[in-house]
Amino acid sequence: MMILVTGGSGSGKSAFAEDCVLACGEGRRIYIATMYPYDEESRKRVRRHREMRAGKGFETIECYTDLPAVKVPAGSTVLLECMSNLAANEMFRPEGAHENAESEILKGIALLREQAANLVVVTNEIFSECCIYQGETEAYRSCLGKVNQALAEMADQAVEVVYGIPVYLKKGGAVHEKPVEQL
Amino acid sequence: MEMIIGGAFQGKEAWVKKRYPEICWRNGSEISREELFQAEGVLGFHEFIRSEMKAGRETEGLAGELIRKNPGILLVSDEIGYGVVPVDAFDRAYRERVGRICTELASFSKKVVRVVCGIGTVIKDA
Repeated sequence: MMILVTGGSGSGKSAFAEDCVLACGEGRRIYIATMYPYDEESRKRVRRHREMRAGKGFETIECYTDLPAVKVPAGSTVLLECMSNLAANEMFRPEGAHENAESEILKGIALLREQAANLVVVTNEIFSECCIYQGETEAYRSCLGKVNQALAEMADQAVEVVYGIPVYLKKGGAVHEKPVEQL
Repeated sequence: MEMIIGGAFQGKEAWVKKRYPEICWRNGSEISREELFQAEGVLGFHEFIRSEMKAGRETEGLAGELIRKNPGILLVSDEIGYGVVPVDAFDRAYRERVGRICTELASFSKKVVRVVCGIGTVIKDA
């Protein structure tokens, strides 16, 4: 079972994604954290997400680049957050895959999907403003847009979270043990 | 009339070309107003609005004129109204005009599809 969760900033997509993981039932829960803690603001954000996850039984794996190298326990439920950070790291960090960012990310996701029983991926909607970007930023938007399209194609379910409300773009695959809405 | 909308890089073009392979698609940034009124389908309709405004042409009545002259057109347009209010006055006017025109056209359209992550969701089917 693979679920892609997207939405704008502050939309409640993380909380929804965590609920999806809980709805997948008992078993090992792995959190793949992708945000590189480069300043106080990002460290604060990391703390907020750790507090949200506390008591939900997650083991955390930090992965800033090279997703294909990540190993997760067979049969586990994996939550990867957030694709927008991973894509930025792969494109712009010195050790990133740069022009191969899109293919490395998709290879990593395919490998995770083989190992895990359930895979929930959180991504971000950054595509609906009027600003005309150039160069690196436009290349980044293009990369994340293509990754999102490929992930939605692979996923059993794709959901856009709008202020905490799940709007299903694609609703298929095996059902959860219980509906997320009833948690 | 039918509209296919969504953010940038969401796969709208691939989506429409798969569903409407027989349509002759024109690019909004490259056509004149007369060509718009003749076109079967237009990609990047927001770009058409932008180039008309850049050229100083009036766009206030564009939606009404398009409805009268080419009521069967298929329009693909970016949604551009979700970001921070632009600092630049032209960008502010352009962003709002795209919203106003597309709202008027969506009201007339029989069907409106919104593409997110390559998946089209019908949000209006009158």
